Amino acid sequence: MRKGIKLIFVIWFGMHALYAQNKQLLYDFNEIPQSLMLNPGVKTSEKWHVGIPVLSGLSFQAGTSGVTVNDLFADDGIDFTTKVRERVLDAMTRKDDFSTTNQIEGFYVGFRGRNRPDDYYSFGMYGETDIIVYWPKDLVLLAFEGNGGANIGRSFDLGDLNLRGEMVNVFHFGVNRKLSNDLTVGARAKLYSSIFQFQSIHNSGSFRTSPGQNNVYVSSIVADMQLQTAGVKGFYDILDEDTSTTTKDLTSLFTKRVLLGGNLGLGFDAGFSYNLNPQTTITASILDVGFIYNSKDIQNYTLRGNASTEGITVFLPEDINDVNNDLWQELVDDIEETLPYEENNSGYISLRPVKVYGSIRYDFGEANGRSMENCGCGVNMERGGGKSGIYRNSLGGQLFLMKRPRGIQPALTGFYQKRLGRTLSLKTTYTVDKYSWTNVGLGLNLQAGPVNFYILGDNLLSYRNVADSHYASLQFGFNIISWNDN
Amino acid sequence: MKGSRCRLLVVLIFFLFLFNSCSEKQDFDQFEDLSITPTLASGIFYLESDEATINAAGDVGVFYVQTINFDAFNEEFVAERLLEGTIQYELENTTTKRIGIAIEFLDENGDVLDVESFIVEPNMPEVFTRDVFYGPGGRSIDILTTTSSLRIAVGNLSDSTSVSTTSDPKIKLSSGAEFLFRLK
Repeated sequence: MRKGIKLIFVIWFGMHALYAQNKQLLYDFNEIPQSLMLNPGVKTSEKWHVGIPVLSGLSFQAGTSGVTVNDLFADDGIDFTTKVRERVLDAMTRKDDFSTTNQIEGFYVGFRGRNRPDDYYSFGMYGETDIIVYWPKDLVLLAFEGNGGANIGRSFDLGDLNLRGEMVNVFHFGVNRKLSNDLTVGARAKLYSSIFQFQSIHNSGSFRTSPGQNNVYVSSIVADMQLQTAGVKGFYDILDEDTSTTTKDLTSLFTKRVLLGGNLGLGFDAGFSYNLNPQTTITASILDVGFIYNSKDIQNYTLRGNASTEGITVFLPEDINDVNNDLWQELVDDIEETLPYEENNSGYISLRPVKVYGSIRYDFGEANGRSMENCGCGVNMERGGGKSGIYRNSLGGQLFLMKRPRGIQPALTGFYQKRLGRTLSLKTTYTVDKYSWTNVGLGLNLQAGPVNFYILGDNLLSYRNVADSHYASLQFGFNIISWNDN
Repeated sequence: MKGSRCRLLVVLIFFLFLFNSCSEKQDFDQFEDLSITPTLASGIFYLESDEATINAAGDVGVFYVQTINFDAFNEEFVAERLLEGTIQYELENTTTKRIGIAIEFLDENGDVLDVESFIVEPNMPEVFTRDVFYGPGGRSIDILTTTSSLRIAVGNLSDSTSVSTTSDPKIKLSSGAEFLFRLK
């Protein structure tokens, strides 16, 4: 049993690859139980649901607002260094980023209250990895071109270094309540169990080499930089030891961290759905308003201070008696003293990346009764709700906002949803964000008896050449769903 | 029945569309061809002396000599990656003295690898510059990569009594370098 659990965790860990934070296809796709994770106040209709462990919700995404794989690695005969210079160094800015997120459900269960049928309770566990690295333009230029030549006099911005990442296991419990025929609200409490976290998000400073006042060149640096890590050193030490028990030790540490043995945090989600009229619904939700207090396995690195040097300087007669021949080492020591690189173990609080969704949906094309029999239009219709859910078509728009280290990252989506009888529902989206202006997505929800299967694919136009895509995302999952007494 | 077939068709088309992705041929081995060769610039050594100090040394001639440990070039990381470089010297003399300067590049045994010498005329109207190139077509790059210390000697080739009428007369030696490295 213990081995089985570990195996699941190892698979889970290995599958933490790439997925989308913005799940515009899943949002308000209320035939899919996982839509409750994006809006605790979504209209729920099922009596209960059980996600098939590990397979109920998998989503992968990778995004780059700058260069694509194809831009660099296409077999086009162009010199690789030239491609890097023209398509990366000259084209990308400090606002571009590489991001990757994934989420995998360990388990996910929901049920309607026996005594309060308007309440739908859900709980579960999922793992999430979220990493974003902004393009450190000036630092890359410094490495690529150096501070000499045409860069004499140029100030390199050390604040271009900006990255953040974490892997976290989330235990959650949510309540969804239908307050009236028109209003459904919900909230979800979350307990975060951090596996690792790192961030370097408030850096500032500059490095500049210019003609000196005395000597040929003067190099000046002002730095206020910090990299905070929690939970990283433990894994690093195990890998560094490289013993025969490395795999076992890694698995053991990972399992411990997943099961609340690492740094912990708290958070919540909240949301609502409101019928403006029988055919128009607005929804909104806010997710991951929370924090993790990082106090265990902390290793922080700082570089703070300022230094300026023109090289070894000798002024006569002042230095006539200075016969020390270690002037170079003295110079290096002076710089290290005024610009110390230090390590510390101070705890810190990391905020979860808050996400906000909003949508407006217009339903039309009323279905006949037969085609919607046994459709899962349960509580929100049966109990006198509006006709939402029995319309064949929905048209609307969605807004997604996400807090990133350099500000709010927005995405705007238009969608159309088509319900084909009681078993099949399709949703297509067009999304505009910093990664793509041609993001067309397609989602399918299939209900075969109690078995629910969904698959949602984003940016389908890029499938013509996946390597040239700025953004790729895929979500899918299996659930067992029961409506009423079916 | 007809509806079921229609739905089945929709599902099939959906999956065909979703998984019928393709990609142009990619060659990830190109990364090996990446060339990163930054040019690094730095001030190296600056010496300044007033005329009074030169006169105070009397007829000895050499009024400043110093050997300085200088391992910046022969650090393993630097030595392995240094492709070429130029050391730029700038000399300024507003004193009445003719000055001789010798900069010796010494290896770790103290043996002289190279010498850079200057004779600086008195009351120079403008800054004298000299660029010394190390690398292909220039002096051997090994001079730099094996240099462990610099010996700098500055001597007065004139009398030790004359005084310039210019304000704050000085001899100044500046030096800086630009080196081309191969990081990858």
